[in-house]
Formats: sequence, structure tokens, C-alpha cells
Amino acid sequence: MTFTGLIGRICLFPLELIIKTSVALKIHPNILTFVGLLINVAAAWALAVGAFVPAGGIMIVGNIFDYIDGKVANELNAVSAFGGFWDSVIDRFSDLSLFIGLIYLYSSMHRTDYVIVAALTMMFAIMTSYTRARAESLIKKCKVGFMERPERIVLFMIGAFTNRMAAVLWVILVLSVFTVADRIIYTYRELREPQVAA
Amino acid sequence: MSQNTPLPLRILWNAFFWTYERATWQYDLMVIAILAFVWLTPPSWLGDPMAGGSGPIGWILEQLR
Repeated sequence: MTFTGLIGRICLFPLELIIKTSVALKIHPNILTFVGLLINVAAAWALAVGAFVPAGGIMIVGNIFDYIDGKVANELNAVSAFGGFWDSVIDRFSDLSLFIGLIYLYSSMHRTDYVIVAALTMMFAIMTSYTRARAESLIKKCKVGFMERPERIVLFMIGAFTNRMAAVLWVILVLSVFTVADRIIYTYRELREPQVAA
Repeated sequence: MSQNTPLPLRILWNAFFWTYERATWQYDLMVIAILAFVWLTPPSWLGDPMAGGSGPIGWILEQLR
């Protein structure tokens, strides 16, 4: 087993417990998704005031909700096309709110350089999701590139807990640029191939 | 990318054009590289507005002076 695989398995234990509780209480997955957004907005506020460690803690709670909504939907047989759409839209709002928190923080510190870095990172983070969504309306799958949402969120937490947000922003920015480029190249190649009739 | 391409170029291309799944050794290697950058780079090198201290690399450089 790989190192990251082991961490994933360890984290799964408490999550299974929360999923079982949510299923027992019959909480609708769309409500869990929305609660996740509200918690992420609280995390964004903590980032905006420079309270990084509390922000990291709040992000963990918010993303638990984000993770379990799909699992709860499966358990409750409440999987729907709208649920998937709702989840994606709310994820974008959560992402944007965290970046806006950082932009507010750096602008209040008169650090225009990091306002730009955070804004560019926000742009490429959103484009990472958009390029995949748009590509998958044209081709079957476009799952290339390293910096997807889970990686971004974990990096945000690492940056918050260890007070290394600037380094984290640079990593997310550079790898998001590569991810967007990967998806454009991949989609171009796939669309250039002769289409096989279904 | 063809098999005739030199290995360093192939490694660079595979790191750029990322197609590996999570929980593979390539993924672990990327995670280690990222964490090394985040934790070892002195915050002053990046002009970090929030981080204090010089980080592990900065500490080693201070000790060497």
C-alpha cells in the first residue's frame, strides 16, 4: 500500500461513522452539501482575519460534509442528476469563498503581489473544474492533471495549519496552470481522433 | 511521447502531462516534492506576508554562517 493510500484508509474510519449517523437521521444529501458550503464560508472568514489554524479546523469540518454527501445519497437511494449538479455548483462557491478570504487578508495587509497570486490561483482553480466539465460534454472522460479539488483542499489545510499559505498558493497556482493545459491538450487530442460510432 | 525520447525528458513530460491515479508511487513522489517545497522553502524567499521564521532551510543556512 502507498503512503497516501494508507492515510486515506485511516481517515475513512471516522467518516464511516458520520455517514452512518447521517443515514440514520435521514438527512437529505443536498442539505449536507449546503451545510458544507456554509462551513467553508466560515473558514473563509477565518482566513480573511488571518486566523489560519481555526480556518484549517473549520475547513476539515466543512469538507467532511462535502465528502459524505455523495455516500449518504448512495445509502439513502437519493442519488439524482440534480444532486450531482448541485454538488458541483456548491463546490465552486466553496472554492471561491476560500480564495476571497485570502484575497481580503492580503489586500488588508496592502500586499498587492499576493492579492494577484491568490486571484490567479483562484482563476486557474476554477478553470481546472471548467475545462473538465466542458471537455466531458464533448468527450467521454477528461481526468488528467494533478491539481484537482481534493489536492487543493488538502493543500489549503496544510497551508493553514503550518502557516505556509504563500508556498501553498504558489504550488496550487503552478500545478493548476499545468492541469488546465493538460486538459486542453488531452481534449484536443481526443477530438482529433476519428470518432467511433456508438 | 516516443520510447526513443531521453529518460529525463520523459520524466519531465510525465510530470507535466499528469495521467497517474491517486495512491500510486508516482503520486506519492509528487506529494513528497510538494510538501518538501511547502515546508522547506524559507518563507522570506517567497515574501510570505504571514509566515514567521526562516523555515528549516533558513535555519540550516543560519547555522552554517
